[in-house]
Amino acid sequence: MGRGEGAKPGLPLAVLLGLAWLVPGLGHVLLGRKSRAWVFGAVVLGSFVLGILCQGELILPKPGDPLSYFAAVATVGNGLLFFLARLLGLGDGVPTAVTYEYGNTFLLTAGIMNLLLVLDTYDMAVGKKEW
Amino acid sequence: MADHFTLMTLHALLLAVFFAFLWKKDPGERKRYAVKVFLLLLLGAIAVGWLMYPFP
Repeated sequence: MGRGEGAKPGLPLAVLLGLAWLVPGLGHVLLGRKSRAWVFGAVVLGSFVLGILCQGELILPKPGDPLSYFAAVATVGNGLLFFLARLLGLGDGVPTAVTYEYGNTFLLTAGIMNLLLVLDTYDMAVGKKEW
Repeated sequence: MADHFTLMTLHALLLAVFFAFLWKKDPGERKRYAVKVFLLLLLGAIAVGWLMYPFP
């Protein structure tokens, strides 16, 4: 596959990117980069689980707190993991816990990493990245 | 689990592996890059911690 051709996942680009966002690593699986996909999936999932175990908070927009809007983008960036955690009643956060800030860091990092994976999927799909 | 250094090390490790696989193709280059990012994050955090020490 030469530069500029793009990978052919057999799916519309928007659907591919949506799936890449929902499940960490799925975009790479659909484009045939399975070994990298497993590593990415494990890293994002590991970071997310650590964040929950550390009693971190899945931050959503809070009125009067502009920075929470940025954090919410990263939180929702976790895709299905975010919705599953909310469904199970996890991720409320315990601000008094000694690991609370670490938990937040792990959860936000997981979301940002997943968003970077969506961008990577895009680059591969349109041929900007060959591997 | 509540040990800050352990959590910081785990965080550095996860990020190093992630960025090595995201940005490097060659396995050897990937390994070197992961080690470099891991050490920079870990030692950088310790250095910044020491620099902040005199401040209340």
